[in-house]
Amino acid sequence: MMATVTAAGAVPALQAALAAEDAAVFGYGVAGAHLSGSSQSAATQDWIRHNEARDILSAMISALGATPVAALAFYRLPFAVDNAASAAALAAYLEDGVTRAYLGLVAVRDQRLRTFGALAMQVCAQCAAFWRGSTQAFPGLEP
Amino acid sequence: MLASAAALPVLLATASCRSQDVFTGPDPLAGPPRPAPDVITLQAVIAAEQGMIQLYRAAIGGDRAAPRARGLEPLLAEHQQHLARLRARLIVPPGAPATPAAQASSQAQGSSSPSSGAAGAGGAGGAGGAARGRVTTARLRAAERGSAAGLVRRLGTVEPALAQLFASIAASDATHVTALGG
Repeated sequence: MMATVTAAGAVPALQAALAAEDAAVFGYGVAGAHLSGSSQSAATQDWIRHNEARDILSAMISALGATPVAALAFYRLPFAVDNAASAAALAAYLEDGVTRAYLGLVAVRDQRLRTFGALAMQVCAQCAAFWRGSTQAFPGLEP
Repeated sequence: MLASAAALPVLLATASCRSQDVFTGPDPLAGPPRPAPDVITLQAVIAAEQGMIQLYRAAIGGDRAAPRARGLEPLLAEHQQHLARLRARLIVPPGAPATPAAQASSQAQGSSSPSSGAAGAGGAGGAGGAARGRVTTARLRAAERGSAAGLVRRLGTVEPALAQLFASIAASDATHVTALGG
């Protein structure tokens, strides 16, 4: 019964986080093509991290008896990406989106999932700050 | 008179509460009720944030134009935003102190370190109180890490919207660690 209660509350939040991770994987593929040197290395590491997070979330959703949402074949970018500056801006945008998605997980009843979501937010917020070049007071929340 | 005297017990009986109307709540003469757990937690987090702000102010010191101070000012500003939003979540009855620390401060009549007592209880990992000695960047990093960890520990004890605010502030604290060279 407790597992069913946990699944009912957690699955939508986990699916939203997975969708955000899928978008980030796609977006970093675009951003990385316009970066070079250490920036490209950083983008590659972030792309790997989001792939791993996607796998973890898919496993968590499956363990709760649900089917993980499939990634889309294409994601519409929020703005044109054609140079290093716009690529970095896209990376920050993607990390902000994933941070917001994990914030949704913090609202579920299961404390372990809340902690998981909060820690994932910290990683994404740090990466967003790296790409943006500045920190924010309330990552994931509306200003 | 006799009629009045005879009627008195009846009047008293009807004037007094019926058994099912007897008040069974807290004793209204015993003082204000204890705050809810969420309120206590929020007060502790507010006190911890106040401690963090004091620490940054001590680190910045008197020369706000110095390079180190210029680098710390944006982080201090974000902690001030944290404090404002946390305070906005706390509804304080008129005349009541906002936090136990504020109450202690008013009782001490002008203590210079209003959060010194409560900051430690806030789970911010040693950020609070009057900053003694030079506040190094390493000390700030440790305080930020402690603050983030403390907020994450509290997530399961508060309602969802407050947990989200805590998680967002913890994420901000984590970015400060990186900004401070961590």
